[in-house]
Amino acid sequence: MFVLLKRLQHLRRTVALPAPARPGSLALRHVDCGSCNGCEHELTNAAGPHYDLERFGISVVASPRHADVLLITGTVTTRMAGPLRAAYAAMPEPRLVAALGDCALGIGVLGDPDQLAGPVEDLLPVDVRVAGCPPTPAAIAEALLDALDLVRTPRREDRR
Amino acid sequence: MSPTPAIEHVDAGSWRATVSAAVERGAELDCLWAAGGAPDPAVRLALRQGAARRLFSTRAEGSRVATIVDLLPAAEWDEREAHDTHGVRFDGHEPLRALVAHPADRAAWVTPVEGPDVHEVAVGPIHAGIIESGHFRFHVVGERVLHLDLRLFYKHRGLERAAEGLTLAAGIPVAQRACAACAVANSVAYAQAAESTLGLQPDEDLRRSRTLVIELERLYNHLHDLSALCAGIGFDPGTMTFAALKERAQRVNERIAGHRFLFGTVRVGEGARSIDDAGASSAHDEVQAIGREAADAWRTLTFMASAEDRMRGVGPLAKEDAERWGAVGPVARASGVHRDARTDERGLLWYPDLQPARPEHPAGDVAARAEVRAAELEQTCAILTGLLTSPPGRGSSAAAHEPASLGVGRVESPRGATVCCVEADEDQITRLHLRTGSYANWPVLARVVPGAILPDFPLINKSFELCYACADR
Ligand code: SF4
Repeated sequence: MFVLLKRLQHLRRTVALPAPARPGSLALRHVDCGSCNGCEHELTNAAGPHYDLERFGISVVASPRHADVLLITGTVTTRMAGPLRAAYAAMPEPRLVAALGDCALGIGVLGDPDQLAGPVEDLLPVDVRVAGCPPTPAAIAEALLDALDLVRTPRREDRR
Repeated sequence: MSPTPAIEHVDAGSWRATVSAAVERGAELDCLWAAGGAPDPAVRLALRQGAARRLFSTRAEGSRVATIVDLLPAAEWDEREAHDTHGVRFDGHEPLRALVAHPADRAAWVTPVEGPDVHEVAVGPIHAGIIESGHFRFHVVGERVLHLDLRLFYKHRGLERAAEGLTLAAGIPVAQRACAACAVANSVAYAQAAESTLGLQPDEDLRRSRTLVIELERLYNHLHDLSALCAGIGFDPGTMTFAALKERAQRVNERIAGHRFLFGTVRVGEGARSIDDAGASSAHDEVQAIGREAADAWRTLTFMASAEDRMRGVGPLAKEDAERWGAVGPVARASGVHRDARTDERGLLWYPDLQPARPEHPAGDVAARAEVRAAELEQTCAILTGLLTSPPGRGSSAAAHEPASLGVGRVESPRGATVCCVEADEDQITRLHLRTGSYANWPVLARVVPGAILPDFPLINKSFELCYACADR
């Protein structure tokens, strides 16, 4: 085990993103609404040792009730529209919605229109958009670091 | 490799007898699917015996046909799906529970489990991590699981329907985006099926370049799965070590194929790109380094008694059950089933001397499923370094046999044998069906869990590490 720990320490020193420039934190709740699993893999990678989002105070939480950001992947299927709305309704305010990946943004979507409720925008107000199929872990990390600033500015209160 | 065999048309009346005779001679299920609409949809069946395949078709008159699920238990989900998507009733398949469809009526999909102290634990569709969506309903007494009902298909995007009417070339993105983690395996299976309808046979470069991307896909997936398994036993240094190696493997993909998930590397009838020597040689060295470090990390893990304790004996799948229920991939091999699609279908890809991996203890438990992946990582690195030593050109294909209306492709994805069936009218897709390794193994998982305690489920689940997207389509 110590061998592994030592190696990870070395890895962090040599390749990890630069030290955090901004204070603050973000609690994310991920909801897969019909992805191909690519966006999930990259999101997991963004939490891995090369990017290590936790160091910036960004972590994935188990319940929308603890979340600042609802991070959505995939074009929303008819079956996931209900659970998605329920997760959003369970969040405390202020809250942000992030659409992760081209599918969530409604770009180049494949599938039978009868099975799809539409891009995230059709169901919820979207604050953060991360394009790509899938977006790279670096792009995800960058967008979430920018979102740190968004949560601190209470500009969205008027929307409720 | 011979082209896809001619379809044997069978009367509805002799459907069971025909299938039964084939099964008695040792045929196994590749795939069952429905095509066409009411009132008389067709039911098709692909069976396989070693490297030989047989295709059967029957008309479900008035949308009814006899079930074959008792002859081939692995076809349970296939029949349930054909019912939900094409309205076929399988006489004798009772109860024919909803699978793809999501009826509001609970009784249509939940198995009644009753008795003193029985209660239900419902999980999902949204899970508590970065996990795909799907619903599990556990019937438990105390912590002990009596039965598990899976309700997947929350991510059903209707991809197969969306493919109908497209040209064969345009079907690739559909197969690819069924699942990113199995994108190459799915699209190569699709390309093989499409080429089979066109009468094309890949040349050596195409066979080798496809093998290269299939194995690159296996490399990052197996690293990912070992990382997930370490997370399942709560061993973070292992989780992070394998996650770091996975990231490096995906960077290799990006460098030599232009995409971290190898999207766009498969085309019908030809290769997508060639690799230059410099790129191949740097990829060769990096794959070798990844392989060495992964083997090192795995060795460290095998010396940890607590890791061994946590994995040994959990979620066992007996060899006979694995065979009967049609388990595939690392899950089947961990139970001692000496089978790998890469070794059955030698003519279309490039595996001159591969043998299916054999774990030292094929106990079919979580530990064996981890061990198989570690062993396969070594094989994959060896195949990759071999191919990268003299990198294949782009490759193409040539007419080799008569075109046909139906083609079948089969590829060993990181999760097991993946079958793709394409029905075409000249260059137009009339039906596309994809039966992935995950699809084959989900019902097996549901059968392995009963008897375990609830807290073991996440670990057993991680040792299968199935995709939802692959099954839901
Ligand atoms: S954006 Fe691309 S990677 Fe993400 S879910 Fe859609 S198809 Fe998959």
